[in-house]
Amino acid sequence: MTGTLPIEPAALETAPEPADTPPRPRRTLGSIITRAVAGFFAILLLVFILGPLLWMAIAAFAKRWKYPNMLPQAWTLDWWGRVLGGADLLPALWLSVKFAVLATLLACVICLPAAYALGRANFPGRRVILLGLFATNAFPKMGLFTSIATLFYAMQLMNTQLGVIIVQMLGTVVTMTWIPAAAFASVSPSLIEAARDAGAGKLRVFFQITMRLAAPGIAVAVILAFLACFDEAQGTYLIGAPTYLTMPTKMYQLVTNYPQQAAAVFALVLCVPSVLLLLLVRRHVMGGHLAEGFQLK
Amino acid sequence: MSSLAMASPPALLVLVFVGVPVIIGIAYTLGYTGGLNSIATTLAVQVYPASGWMPTTAAYAAVFADPRFQGDLVVTVWVTLSTVVAVLVLAWAIALYARLTGGWLGRFLSGVAVIPLFIPIVIGAYAIRTFYLNTGFLVSVGKLVGIDFPTLSYHTPGIVIGQIWASLPFAVLLISSGLAAVPDALIDAARDTGASRARAVWSVMIPMTTVPTVIVATFTGVGVMGSFTVPYMIGPAAPNMLGVTLQQTYASYARPQNAQVMAVVLFVLAAGIGALYVWANARQARQSAVAL
Repeated sequence: MTGTLPIEPAALETAPEPADTPPRPRRTLGSIITRAVAGFFAILLLVFILGPLLWMAIAAFAKRWKYPNMLPQAWTLDWWGRVLGGADLLPALWLSVKFAVLATLLACVICLPAAYALGRANFPGRRVILLGLFATNAFPKMGLFTSIATLFYAMQLMNTQLGVIIVQMLGTVVTMTWIPAAAFASVSPSLIEAARDAGAGKLRVFFQITMRLAAPGIAVAVILAFLACFDEAQGTYLIGAPTYLTMPTKMYQLVTNYPQQAAAVFALVLCVPSVLLLLLVRRHVMGGHLAEGFQLK
Repeated sequence: MSSLAMASPPALLVLVFVGVPVIIGIAYTLGYTGGLNSIATTLAVQVYPASGWMPTTAAYAAVFADPRFQGDLVVTVWVTLSTVVAVLVLAWAIALYARLTGGWLGRFLSGVAVIPLFIPIVIGAYAIRTFYLNTGFLVSVGKLVGIDFPTLSYHTPGIVIGQIWASLPFAVLLISSGLAAVPDALIDAARDTGASRARAVWSVMIPMTTVPTVIVATFTGVGVMGSFTVPYMIGPAAPNMLGVTLQQTYASYARPQNAQVMAVVLFVLAAGIGALYVWANARQARQSAVAL
């Protein structure tokens, strides 16, 4: 494991395996140390990543929680009742869903045909378009949003629903084009040719072969796009507030005006759609669809 | 329908809602306050207009002379650099361990590192703020065992922590996928010819994973630089990152032109990073052309 004996692995592979002596004693010691370090690191990482979320989740059930105690002294469910029954949650939730659904649908209409063309055909201007789309990600977000706001004032889109939808949709363009394009590109041309040879029409090939094989990649893109819209706060805040407050932008206000427990409950409720939807596509996201979508080809 | 026509709509969308705003934004900073900028100008408390067609740098002079901006710029660059370095080191350590051992611990580590992807950033930032507050977890644990941990929330290191938390999933996913693409046969070949494990990593795995690493560095850098939520939630009132000051200068102080100057400063910083990304992709394209 430490790599001090360069000859060791080769020697071991050629040596006949002794039946009952434990092989590679040095490596066992090394691997125990590595594992111990990795285990310690795993605990630190667990605290770093999950600690804040757990701490917040506990706060949502706290009646009295005095520093420096690790747990509240008294528990309550009152905050859940107040937030879930309060006047703030439902309108914000409805707005969030409405904007995110409309922005995602619009992104599908605009980006998916483009993804098909970019993934299946080579044409002059293709690389320029791929790189041009990346421009949305090349500008630091807040700088871009204030620039957009100035244009929106001129177009009378400031503080309008369409303005918010456009801003949310802009954030999905790269995801909605690049990931489906990679999915379309990975459909083997020989399969399509085979289907055509067997007499299938163009439309039939498109729906039964191309679309079916590209579907997982497209689904990942659509869900990621929906979540990006649903969770988008910075642009929505600048363009929509104070007229249109979605759940994430409401959070900006809650953290200053509300008791900590109420903000924690609100935050947990807001997590639900993200966690559920991402668990659905978890395998695909981990399996490299996301990573593939970020490399120009 | 031709491929170009099919591929055009998103490009047009980006042209109208990214290209045009950036261009009129840059024009605005140089004193062109009319045209598409005129409504923002009527809502502003102060602008520095150009005299006729001659551009003016008065807005730049005003912003750069402001000590708050100077402090914010330093914080922005510092947070961006620290986050990129920390994220690259962490993501590489996790992805490499998972790739080399292939055991449950490696899978567990990368699984944990990806969790923030599932959590809206507003929530993550809020949770992190409470966690590192003077009444939060870290200080409480310190109190119980007798160590004085600093309060990180409302201080610059807290922002870095929040940024690392938010950026880690993407980095781990991309670098893991890059390392997965290195064929086992290549690593074994290096080992068989006498290379140590460290040598195999250094001479085989790192060069073959340059592109994902550069992508991670650029996306993380640009993302952190233009972020608002994390510094707004976790950072101090001042100096904070430019994203926060930019938003306040625009919306609260009604000085859109000054805000636009800050935006242009961010664009210039990001342009350097973006060039790196394009270079890496071009390199990749050449490599795969050779492979084919």
